[in-house]
Amino acid sequence: MRRLLAAGAVAAIAATALLAGGALRSGDDAAAAPTSRQLIRVGFRELDAARRTGEPTHYGRAEEALREALDGDGQDAEALVGLASLANSRHRFREGLRLARQARRLAPDTAVVDAVLGDSLVELGRYDEAFRGFDRLAARKPGLTAYSRVSYARELLGHQAQAIEAMRLAVDAAGDSGEPAAWSRTQLGKLYFSQGRLHEAAAQYRAALELRPGYVQALDALAHVEAARGRLRAATSLERQAVAQTALPQYAGFLGDLYRLQGSARRADEQYRLVAAVDRLFVANGVATDLELSLFNVDHGFRLTESVARARRALAERPGIEAEGVLAWALARTGRCGEALRHSERALRLGTLDAPKFFQRGMIERCLGRRAASQRWFHRALRTNPYFSPAWAPVARRLS
Amino acid sequence: MKRLLLALIGGVLLLPASAAAHPLGNFTVNRYAGAEVSGSHVFVRYAVDLAEIPTLQDGSRFRRPGAATRLARGLRLELDGRRARLRPLASRVALRPGASGLRTLRFDAVYEGGRAGRMLSLRDTNFAGRIGWKEVVVGADRGARIVTSSAPSRSASDELRSYPRDLLRAPSDTTAATAVVRPGTAEGVAPSLGDAPSDHRRGGFESLIGQDGGAGVIALALVLALFWGAAHALTPGHGKAIVAAYLVGSRGKARHAFALGGIVTVTHTIGVFALGLVTLALSELIVPERLYPWLNLVSALLVVGVGVAVLRARLHARGHRHHHHEHQHRRGLLAVGISGGLLPCPSALVVLLAAISLHRVGFGLLLIVAFSLGLASVITGIGLVAVTAKRAFARLSLEGAFVRALPALSAAAIVALGLVMTMRSLPQLT
Repeated sequence: MRRLLAAGAVAAIAATALLAGGALRSGDDAAAAPTSRQLIRVGFRELDAARRTGEPTHYGRAEEALREALDGDGQDAEALVGLASLANSRHRFREGLRLARQARRLAPDTAVVDAVLGDSLVELGRYDEAFRGFDRLAARKPGLTAYSRVSYARELLGHQAQAIEAMRLAVDAAGDSGEPAAWSRTQLGKLYFSQGRLHEAAAQYRAALELRPGYVQALDALAHVEAARGRLRAATSLERQAVAQTALPQYAGFLGDLYRLQGSARRADEQYRLVAAVDRLFVANGVATDLELSLFNVDHGFRLTESVARARRALAERPGIEAEGVLAWALARTGRCGEALRHSERALRLGTLDAPKFFQRGMIERCLGRRAASQRWFHRALRTNPYFSPAWAPVARRLS
Repeated sequence: MKRLLLALIGGVLLLPASAAAHPLGNFTVNRYAGAEVSGSHVFVRYAVDLAEIPTLQDGSRFRRPGAATRLARGLRLELDGRRARLRPLASRVALRPGASGLRTLRFDAVYEGGRAGRMLSLRDTNFAGRIGWKEVVVGADRGARIVTSSAPSRSASDELRSYPRDLLRAPSDTTAATAVVRPGTAEGVAPSLGDAPSDHRRGGFESLIGQDGGAGVIALALVLALFWGAAHALTPGHGKAIVAAYLVGSRGKARHAFALGGIVTVTHTIGVFALGLVTLALSELIVPERLYPWLNLVSALLVVGVGVAVLRARLHARGHRHHHHEHQHRRGLLAVGISGGLLPCPSALVVLLAAISLHRVGFGLLLIVAFSLGLASVITGIGLVAVTAKRAFARLSLEGAFVRALPALSAAAIVALGLVMTMRSLPQLT
């Protein structure tokens, strides 16, 4: 989930950079009908707003503006890359890939086009192609856009130290002001967190909050650190601030988990209902949420049979390691562990150091009666990140 | 049949399409704060328009007593540098259907702020960090004047009723205003709460409920409702074919056609009222997204039940045809009328619920009756045509087994429709 967010965020940041470039060129606004340049600017502004606020209706407005900008001859690379980025934000990566390729034909060797194209490829599971593109991008145009993607690629390949190194470069490139500065620090913190380095993670999140007080992604991330330290009240207070500001499903879902851990089933249910409602609104605004919703449902034991079907659909639409992992987990929780094992193997094929997926693999092995193997996976999950989930890490500890 | 089914399910879901969504986005909290210098006094009009998600998160807080007082704490009105106490004079909460079966909420309040000074400032500190349209206005009337002001004197959004839709401009984001004013000497008059909110998307019959004004407008609205009912009867699904076939098949007379119209009016009106009341009663207890699937199921089962009852009456009546002809005829008439009017049409239900949420229940009921009358008049008309053309039909020997079986077939069709609705409603249940 965080990877998807990261991909979307980076795409939008790149888009904003592009927008700034476009703004420089376009000069003063005309009073009459909006020019295609103005429309493109609006489109990117809406894309950026969607990313910052989580508000899904921005997608519709972005699409309206960008499509109108494209209306003339359909040959505007900026409008096309905007629409590609929009499609990626809505998790419609095949469409994103198609649009990004169209944009590349019009504007070859444009960093932002290559970046958006690579984002689509990653989510479609075409890693070699995507990673080669990111390397070229970094060589040709080093900067936040390239570094953050290189970092993501290295993380997927399980090269955690190098991923951190690349994200540090991204932090330097982002400077000390503006949203990208807070965003890149939060991402760096999350890389530390995925290794269980709570102190270093928290330092990055605090730095992000200092740059941008109330920065919602850092509030949520810091809540995870507090929960990992067992300080559930502090975690709840942070996550509540995040949800009050931006009711994204992952925030509301984690707040629900925190309430549940503190024994308040009623409050937890309130948040879980919010997750379902926000999901419906995302779907109504053209966002594909099969993968995220089935992961949430499977993790919470909701609608398991339906979740298997959803995860299959997600895998068909986004044939990457994320969907493989979610389908494996859904199958395991409905007792189809043989099939689950095949998908779990594919989910771990890149060598990603992903503690939740290691834990899920342990559960699959256990379900298949392979006790020793399952314990090895549980150990591996806890060694990677002993705090990977407030709900599941204790289970891993008990069973290992 | 299919269209009717879709219309019915859609109606029970109360405009589920995203077209009914909050115009500024599903996550927004939109606020309007207006300082009104009226004569010698200052009043504040405050409106909050919550989109779907904030309504789900915080809606209940607005519906608890004391909401106006609690919100006043976040409103800072300063008169000549001193914070004024805001005394609530009136407030109102209204829920409206929004996107994906969720609801949106609008809260309105009027406060009294005391005697005006020369300097006035108003700041809205509620809902910090929430996105949305934020607007502050300073106005004056009854002899008071604004000397200078950082805020406009008129709302750009008609106090959150219609947001300017301009792709190029970001939503208004003003939460504070300062002004130099010259108060009047006359006694101030508190502003009203303003018009009740209307739905986000309206059209046809549904838009009638938002009409304001005097007898002329009401009469016009009633005539339009009558017309809409008549037009609605011409859309598929109100059993016109069955009515005609029945009247022909059972040697109906003109008075039977009128009786049929009357029955349709009554059952349709009752059906809408009943469904509306059930919706209202349940919406207090259950969150809407849990309620609608159940409501679908209930209405589906209702249709099945009536279908079965009519079918039983038919089969029973057929067995005793020769003994109780007149009796059977009356029962059959009733059953056909009921089956024609029972399925309350969705736009009528929406009108009723909108009327209730606008506190204009009486007007809503009146409109429903007019709508039902329009519906019935068309069905009666069709019946009359069938009766007068009876001789022509009679020669064609329509008295065959098919026409005799028609009433039973129509009852079977109702059962089938109900079963389809039931099946469709089941997967939605959690």
